[in-house]
Parts: sequence; structure tokens; C-alpha cells
Amino acid sequence: MATVALQNISKSFDDTQVLNNINLSIEDREFIVFVGPSGCGKTTLLRIIAGLEEASEGQIIIDGEDVSSAHPVDRGISMVFQSYALYPHLSVFENIAFPLRVAKVPEAELNQRVEHAANILQLTNRLQHKPGQLSGGQRQRVAIGRSIVRNPKVFLFDEPLSNLDAALRGDMRVELASLHQDLNATMIYVTHDQVEAMTMADKIVVLNAGSVEQFGSPMELYHHPRTKFVASFIGQPNMNFIAATLTASDDTSCSIDADDLGALTLPVAPVEGSHGDPVCLGIRPEDLSLATDGDAGGFIMKVKVLERLGGIAIAYGSIKSQASDSQSFKAVLPGDVQVAPGEEIRLHVEPSKCHLFSDQGIAMRRLKAEV
Amino acid sequence: MQLLRRLMPRKGLHSTKFFAWVLIAPAAAYMCLIVAWPLVETIRLSFTNSGLGIEDYVGFANYEKLLSSRKFPDTIGRTFYWMFLSVGLKLILGLIGASLLAANLKGKAAFRVLVMPPWIVPIAIGCIGWLWLYNGHFGILSGVLQNLGIIDGPFEFLAYKNSAFYSAIVTDVWIGTPMITIFLLAAIQNVPRDLYEAAYIDGASRWYRFRRITMPQIMPMFASMALLSAIWTFNSFEIIWILTEGGPRGGTTTLIVDTYKTAIANYKYGQGATRAVLIVAILAVFSLLYLWLVNKVNKKYGDEK
Repeated sequence: MATVALQNISKSFDDTQVLNNINLSIEDREFIVFVGPSGCGKTTLLRIIAGLEEASEGQIIIDGEDVSSAHPVDRGISMVFQSYALYPHLSVFENIAFPLRVAKVPEAELNQRVEHAANILQLTNRLQHKPGQLSGGQRQRVAIGRSIVRNPKVFLFDEPLSNLDAALRGDMRVELASLHQDLNATMIYVTHDQVEAMTMADKIVVLNAGSVEQFGSPMELYHHPRTKFVASFIGQPNMNFIAATLTASDDTSCSIDADDLGALTLPVAPVEGSHGDPVCLGIRPEDLSLATDGDAGGFIMKVKVLERLGGIAIAYGSIKSQASDSQSFKAVLPGDVQVAPGEEIRLHVEPSKCHLFSDQGIAMRRLKAEV
Repeated sequence: MQLLRRLMPRKGLHSTKFFAWVLIAPAAAYMCLIVAWPLVETIRLSFTNSGLGIEDYVGFANYEKLLSSRKFPDTIGRTFYWMFLSVGLKLILGLIGASLLAANLKGKAAFRVLVMPPWIVPIAIGCIGWLWLYNGHFGILSGVLQNLGIIDGPFEFLAYKNSAFYSAIVTDVWIGTPMITIFLLAAIQNVPRDLYEAAYIDGASRWYRFRRITMPQIMPMFASMALLSAIWTFNSFEIIWILTEGGPRGGTTTLIVDTYKTAIANYKYGQGATRAVLIVAILAVFSLLYLWLVNKVNKKYGDEK
């Protein structure tokens, strides 16, 4: 039961500005993910919400109350650390009970609450073990258990899955999502992994160099990235960019002349700019398909590496305007595609699926996108 | 063929065993020379009346004499009192010092260096410094106390049984604390910061965090330091010898000082050896206790099991 609002949050360490005027308003029960490359300030922002760091400027408001200088306990938050921060000398039971012991909760209630948390997290038969005897996933659950016994208003997670192997990470993603549904609490989650962000978030905050680049639902970010940075960050494998020149535009379309692809007319609303301006064409690898004879145009890609994932195959290589040994162009192809490394393939893309960015990296609104 | 097969591994085994002994031999010979032989020799001496020019087997006479002597229970009691008091103070001061030095202060490196001198200065030099401090007529302690009006005239700290004993304790603590401080500081700094942050978020106060995180986390190091310090303090000889030579009237004579006085100062090698054997026995018990305790502490506070 909590809303969180960040107002004009800035943070600098000595001369280094880490966060720059962050404004966010998080609704009750939302699962929010802060995502961005390392050093973008996402963990610092989380620590400021937690009360481990003080913002240089700005207010944190939880449930309408300004908690900017309140102790973490009074903020009603709890936090799960990247390293789990379990007490190695205490049993699982005592680890989970720690916040309750601090709060001097009576023994009977303490037992009941720890067992309840252990039940939710399937740790009941591990309560007497030490953290050192547990697997990575179980340690993770103990850390979550410690954060849920206090019934906090807001859960904070600092890259909680980054120490787990890939398979376990997938499982824990699902577990966390269902935990979020069960607990019905506001959760703020920090990660550098856009897959975690896309799969778990109600809303994603993309941070870049201390500023909010975009704040919106995963599909909104996917279909309508506001900047080239967001476009390249969201989506797996990430977007291809091709240099182009703006040749004509009206309210509902832009005509461009792209390197390789030639003349294209895209259904996007132009931002300021005029003929001859350089622009950047963005194509998601999964929007590319092998051209059939009926497709007009199309362009040639030289495949260098082919990754077969079963259902799909990802081709890495180059198009003509790129260096021939480059592997930066990606295309998602059918899993059983008959292509060998070194071969050339002809690709096709629907103009309505293309993204167009101004020279400053600002996206032009796509008018025929799905969302 | 059958026979050969049966012999082969055995032969192989023999040569590996032999090679292992060859590898161990230099170290084993060295240990025999500097540890085993003196130890055996000491035990042998303790059953003789060895002195200047004589050496006859006397059986348990030395032991009987030592155990029935009036002074001996006092010496043993004093030794243990000396050890517990001094080690206790060193640990308490070391823990306080380490906690303060671990704080994130400006110029903490300077403070850390300032802790070291008692440890770095050669013990003899440090003790001679303390001799001057304790001196009644020229010493600064006596002078300051007189100026403050706490004492009327010059006070010779080392001239009275009790004051000499506690003065020696102060010097011993002064010399022994820095090392404990530095080791405990290292242990405290090894505690992951995350643990403190997690506890802070859960509302744990500074003292609570110290009690439930710092102490358990440094417990293995604390136990090791306590027991090592106990052994060193038990055998602490040069500090007492330089300050008081075990006096006045035996007031600072611990077991090790008594051993030296008997064997070296009075040339009663046999009786000195008896005391040395006793020290070995006591320290052996200490070492067993140490291993047992460290094992237990590691089980309780260690990461695994």
C-alpha cells in the first residue's frame, strides 16, 4: 500500500554528478524496474530511496509523507542486496528473524512470522541451516524472506539475480513476479539486464548518465523508444542502426534515403529537421525477414556468424555500408534457415516497423506501431 | 607373471614411501635438533641435581622440592593473575582501539600509524623508557602526581610489591596492545559492508550491529588473539626482567622469571629444568585448549556448517 514519488532528486559525490534532477511517481503496487548500463546511477538512486545515501537535493515522498531524512525503518522500506548480505554466523531462521529481533517482536509472533515467510519461500526445511550450506537460489530466497517478515510498504531489490546462473535466474524471475502478485506490494528493482526489466516490470525506468531517459511500460519502451539510447538498450538482440538522409516529410510520413536500403517512406511524425538532414534508421533484428521474390527492394547482408537457438536463428554480419568484417548487423531468422556463414542473404523490412531517429538521437513518433 | 603383478605395486609403494621420507628428512632433522633434543634434554636435566660441575640423578627430588616449597603456589597464582589481567586489558583496549580505527574518519591512516610505536620499538628500549617514567625522583609520573597533589613526595613505582606488579602490567599491556589492535582491525575491516547496511535498513543500532555482526564475525580472530596473547604473556620475560628483575621481594616473579632466576642466576640447572618442564606442561594444556576453542568458535561463527 504505498506510492513513491521522487522529486528533483540530484546526487553528487564531491565533484561528480551522479544523478541529475530525477522525477518519478510510482503508483501503489507497481513493479518498477530501474535499468541502465553500469554507472548510470540506478543503484545510487535505489540507495537514496532506501536511506543508505542522502540525496544532495530533492525529496522522497512515500505515501504522501516526505521521508527524505527519515531512517529506513521509518520509511517502511526493506531491501534485498546484490550479495544477499546474509549473516554467515546465523541460521536461516535467525537471518530471517533479524529485523524482528531488532524490533523486539515477542517470541511467539516472531516464530509465526518467520515460519510464514519460510512457507512462502519454501525454506521450511532449511531453517536450521547456515547460509554457507545453501545454494545460490536458496540464499536469494533467505534474503527475500528477511525483507518480507517486516511487512514493508516498499520492497527494494538491488540486482538480486546477478549472482545466479542463467537457468536459476529464469526461475527466480518467475518466482519474484508471482511473489509480487501474492504480496501486493510496491516493488522497485534495479538491474542492468534488459530481459529482467522487460519480463518483470509493470513500468521500466531507463536511466542513462544520471538522468531518466524514459519511463513507461515495457511494450511502450519497445515500440516507442523515445531516444536512440532506449531503442538500443531495450530488445534482444539489440536494434540495428543505419545512417540515412531525410529527403521529404509531411505530418504523417518521412521519406529517407538510407545507406543500403535506398529510398524509403516511413509512417512516422517528423521532429524538427529539414531536407538533407542526417537521420538514423533503426530496425529491430526480429522485424527483418528473408526477402521473397515478390518483395520490392530488400538489401543484402553478409552473414558471418549464425547462432541457432532452435526456434529462431540469429545472424550476425554486415551490410554493404559497413566494414565487411563487421558483425554488428543482426537479423532474427527462422530456426531452420538454410544459410551458412560467409553467405549473403537478401533481407526485407516493413516500413511501418522501422524506427527513425533525429541526428540528436530523438525518436520520431511511429504512427502505425502496434501499441 | 602373477607374482610379478603382486610385487609391482608393492615395490612402487615402497619407493614412494621412501621418497616421502627423503623429502621430510631435512625438516625433520632440523626440528629434532632445535625442538626435540632440547626438550628431551630439559626433561632429563629436571631429574638431576645439575649445577656447576655436578650432575647426578636425583629422581623426583626436584619436583618434590618445588611442589612443597612455600613460594611456589604464590608464583603460580601470580603468573596466572598476571596473565589473565594483562591479556584481558590488552583484548579490551585492542577491541576498543580497533573499533575506533575502523571508523571512517579523516586521517585514519595517521591514527593507524600512531598505534604502532609500542610494537615497533624494541621491547628493551620501551622498557627502559618506562623505567624512567616510573622513577620516583626523576620520573614524569611521580612528578605529575606530586604537582597534582595526589601524592606528597616522590613515589617509586617499582619499589613496592603491589605497585611494581601493576606497573609491570601497564607496561606489558602497552607493548602488547598494538598488535592485537591491528589484527582485530584487519578482522573488522574484513566484515562485508553489506551486512552493516542490511542491519541498518532493518533498524539495528550501532551497538546492536557491533554485538550481532562485528563480534561474531571477528570471533575466530578474537579467540586466536586471546589464546596466542595468553601464551606470550604467560612467558613474558624481558619486560619484567628489565623493570624489576622479578622483585621487589618476588612481587613480580612469574613462573618464567623464577625459572631464569633458578637456572641461570643461581646455577641450579636441574631445578630450573623442573620449572621449565612445568611451563611446557601448562602451555601444552593451553595449546590443546586453544585448538579445541578455535575449532568450536569456527564451527559456531564460521561460514560453513
